[in-house]
Amino acid sequence: MMMIILDITTTAAILFIVASGLLIVFGVMKIVNFAHGAFMTVGAYAALITSYLALPAIAAPFVAFAVGGLLGAAAELLIVRRLYNRPLDAILATWGLGIVIGQVLTLMFGREVQFVPAPVTGTLAFLGNDYSGYRLLLLPAAVVIGALFTALLTGTRLGLATRAVIMNETLAQGLGIDSTRVRLLTFGIGSGLAAVAGAAVTPLASVDPNMGLPWLIGAFMLVMVSGGSLPTLALSCFVLGGLQVLVSTFVSPILGGLTIAVLAAVALRLRPEGFARV
Amino acid sequence: MSDSSATAISLPGARSRVRQLGRLGIPWLLGVLAILVGPWFLDAYIVNILIRAFFVATVALTVDVLWGYSGYLTFGQSAFFGLGAYVLAIVFVRYGFGPGQALAVLLGAMALAAVVAALVGWLSFYPGSTPLYASVVSLVVPIVLVQLLYSGGAFTGSSSGLVGYESFDLSVEAWFRLAGLGVVAIGLLARIAISSDAGRLLSALRDNEMRCAYLGLDTPRIRIVLLVLCAMVAALAGLGYAGFGGIAAPENASFTFGTQLVIMVALGGRGTLVGAIFGALILELASAYLSGSLPFVWELIVGLAFILVIVAMPAGLFGSIRDMAGGLSRKTAGPIVSLQTLPLSDVQSPDEIAVEVSGLGKHFGSLSVLSDVSFSARRGELVSLVGPNGAGKTTLIRCIADGHERSAGSVKIMGHSIDRLPPHRIVALGLGRKFQTASVFESLSVADCLRVASARKHSPSFFTSSASLALPRAALAVVDTSGLGDRLTEEARYLSHGLKQALELAMVLALEPKVVLLDEPTAGLTRVERQRFGAVLTKLVEVERLCVLLVEHDLDFVREISSRIIVLHQGHIALDGTVAEIVESALVREIYSGQHRDRRAGAAS
Repeated sequence: MMMIILDITTTAAILFIVASGLLIVFGVMKIVNFAHGAFMTVGAYAALITSYLALPAIAAPFVAFAVGGLLGAAAELLIVRRLYNRPLDAILATWGLGIVIGQVLTLMFGREVQFVPAPVTGTLAFLGNDYSGYRLLLLPAAVVIGALFTALLTGTRLGLATRAVIMNETLAQGLGIDSTRVRLLTFGIGSGLAAVAGAAVTPLASVDPNMGLPWLIGAFMLVMVSGGSLPTLALSCFVLGGLQVLVSTFVSPILGGLTIAVLAAVALRLRPEGFARV
Repeated sequence: MSDSSATAISLPGARSRVRQLGRLGIPWLLGVLAILVGPWFLDAYIVNILIRAFFVATVALTVDVLWGYSGYLTFGQSAFFGLGAYVLAIVFVRYGFGPGQALAVLLGAMALAAVVAALVGWLSFYPGSTPLYASVVSLVVPIVLVQLLYSGGAFTGSSSGLVGYESFDLSVEAWFRLAGLGVVAIGLLARIAISSDAGRLLSALRDNEMRCAYLGLDTPRIRIVLLVLCAMVAALAGLGYAGFGGIAAPENASFTFGTQLVIMVALGGRGTLVGAIFGALILELASAYLSGSLPFVWELIVGLAFILVIVAMPAGLFGSIRDMAGGLSRKTAGPIVSLQTLPLSDVQSPDEIAVEVSGLGKHFGSLSVLSDVSFSARRGELVSLVGPNGAGKTTLIRCIADGHERSAGSVKIMGHSIDRLPPHRIVALGLGRKFQTASVFESLSVADCLRVASARKHSPSFFTSSASLALPRAALAVVDTSGLGDRLTEEARYLSHGLKQALELAMVLALEPKVVLLDEPTAGLTRVERQRFGAVLTKLVEVERLCVLLVEHDLDFVREISSRIIVLHQGHIALDGTVAEIVESALVREIYSGQHRDRRAGAAS
C-alpha cells in the first residue's frame, strides 16, 4: 500500500516536472509547443555529456536548462514568432522543429540507446519501505520547480508582465509591456524547463533521440486538462498520474500507458474549458 | 426593391462554365492515362513503391478534405488506415483467403472504421468544441490503437505485426492500375463534392463555425458525417495497402504516420487535393530512394522543408501555384446566373407574441449580470434594448439565442420554450441572430455565403453547383438596396465593412426568421448607410411582420425606428415603454446623462 502511494506521488512529481514547461508556453502564448519532447531529449543528452565530462551530477539540470533555453529562444525568434495568429500551424511548425532536433541529435550521437547513471543510487528506507532513492529525490525537485515558478510569476516584474500578457495582451501592450520580449523569454524558459525534465528523467530510463515523444503526449494532455493553471496542473498530475499507476499495477501496464490520454480526452469533452476554475 | 417573381441578373461566370469543366477534366484525364500506361515504362522497383504511394495518397486526400477544407487538423487518419490494414490481415490469417473472406474484409473494415469514426466524432465535435481540442482527440486515437495492437498478442501480431497471409492474386501491373485509378477516383469524387453546393459548407465551417451554427446548421453533425466518410476511405486505402504489401504493422496505424500524412498535405498544398496526391507521391518516392543513402539527413531535410512551408508558404506547393495563377484577379466562385425570389410564406397571425422572456437570470459565480428579466415582444414590433455599457444587453441577446447560456428563467420563441437547445435548434424555431462584428464567410463568394444561409431550408446538392440563387423577399431586398447584387461572385473578404454588415443581415434574413436579434448593427457605419439600414429595418417589421430586437447605443437612431424601448440597467429592466415614454423619463436622463452631455458637447463644437 505504501509502495503504491510512493509510486503515485513520485509519478505525479515526474509528470509535473515534464509538463510545467509546456504549461507556461501554453498559458502565455496559447500555443502548444510540439517540440517539447525534442527539448526534453536535448536535456537528456546534456545530462549525458555532463556525466561523460565527469562533472558533478548536480550540474546536469543547469547545463540542460542553459542549452534548452538558448535553443528555445532561437526557435522562438526564427519560427514561432511568425505563427501567433495561426495556433494550429504553430503546432505543426514546432512538430517539424522536433523532427529536425531529433535528426540532428541522431547525426551527432547516433541512434543507439545510452545510459546516464543516477546521482543517487540504491534504495532509501522511507517510512519502513525500501524505495528508489532517485525517484524520491524527484519529489523535492518538483516542489522546487513549482515554487520557483510561482515566485517568478508573482514576485518579479517579468512575472507581472507575463500575467498581464496572459490576461489581456492588447491591454498589456497598450500599457507599454513589451509582449514580444515576454514571449521570447517565456518560450526560452519553457524549453529550458523541458530540457531540465529530460535531464531529470534520464537516470530512470535510457537516452535515445526519440525518447521525448512518449512524454510529449502525456504532458500535453495534462496541460489541456489543467486549463493553464499551475495548481490545477499539480492536481491533474496527481489524479491522472495516480490512476495511471493504479491501472498499470492492477489491470495492465499497457492500459496504464493509455490512462492519461484517454481520461484527459473524456474529461475535456465533459468540461471543455479545462479544470482551472473548479 | 424587387417584387417581381424572378430577378435575373446575368453574370460573366456563366459563360466560362464549360471552359472550367474542361480545365478541371483534362489534368484528371492525363492522370488516368499515365496510370494506365505507367507499368509499361517504369521499372519494377518504382512501380512497387508507387503502388504503396497511391494508397498513402488516398489517405492523404482524406486529410486534405478534413484539414484543408473543413479546418480540422487531424493526426488520426493513420488509425483508420491501420484499422483497414489489420482487418484484412486478421481475417486472412485466421480464416484464409477466399471471395467470402474478401467481402467480409471489405464490409468489416468500412463498418469498423465508421463506428470508430462516429465515436471519435462524438468526442471531438459538440456545440462549443474548439479546433485545438478536436486535434488533441485525433492525436489520442492512433496512440490508443497502437497500444491495443501491441497488447493483442498473436491476434494482432504485437509489435511485429501480421505477415505471411495469402492475399489477392493480382499482377503488379493490375495493382498499380487499381491503386492509381483508386486515387484518381477518390480525388475526382472529392473535387466534385467539394465544388458542389453542399461542399461550400465545409469552407463555411472552416471560416466561421459559430456563424454556421447560428444559420441553423448542425455543425457537429456535419463534421461527424464527414469524418465517418473520410475514415471509410482511409480504411479502404489501408486495406489495399495490406492486401498488396502482405503485411500489417503497427507503424501503419501510428501517430507518426498520422503526422507524416499532415506533412505531405502541407508540402503539397492544403486545400488543393492535387497537392495532397503529389505531396504523398513525391515524399514516398523520395524517401524510398533517399532514406537508404542518406538515412537521417533525409528526415532532417523533410523537417526543415516542413517548417519552411508552414512558416513562409502556408499554401504549400500547389496552393502557391494556384494563388499565383489566380491571385491577380479577384476570384470568382463560379456560375451564378440569377437571383430568384422565393414565394412568400403567409403570415397567419401577424400580431402573435414572438419572444417571451420570463425571470431570466445570468450569473458567473457570485457575479450577477442579469436578474429577473421579463418581457415579451410581438411580431411587427421593433424593440430596442438600450442601456449603458455593462448593462447586460449583449448577454441578454446571447441568452435568447443559446439555450446553454442562461442561469435561470425561461425563453420562448414563437411559443416554443428553448430549454437547453443549442443555437441551431433555436434557429429552427424561427430565430435569426446578427453578431456585433460583421460575421460572414471570408473566403466564400457573396452568393455562396447566402447559399450557405439557405442550406437549412433547401438542402443543397452534393454533386452540382447550382446556377441560381433563390432568396426570400426580405433577403433579396437587402441585397438589392445595398448594392450586393452587383458583387455576388466576389469573395466576402473584399467587401467594405458596411457591405459585410448588409451581407450578414441578408444571410440572417435568408433563414426566413420570425424573430431577428441585432447587436449594434450600425456600429462603424456611415451616416448614409445607417439611414438606409433604418429604412430597411422598419420596412421588414411592417411588411414581413418580423419581430426585431435591437441592441443600440445611438439613441437618436433608436428613437427614429423603434416601436418600443427597453432600458436595461445593471442587469435589470429599468423601463419598458413607448419611445415617447422612455425619452421623457427622468431615469433615462439620469442613466444616460453622461452620454447626453457628451453628445451635446460634440454637436456644439
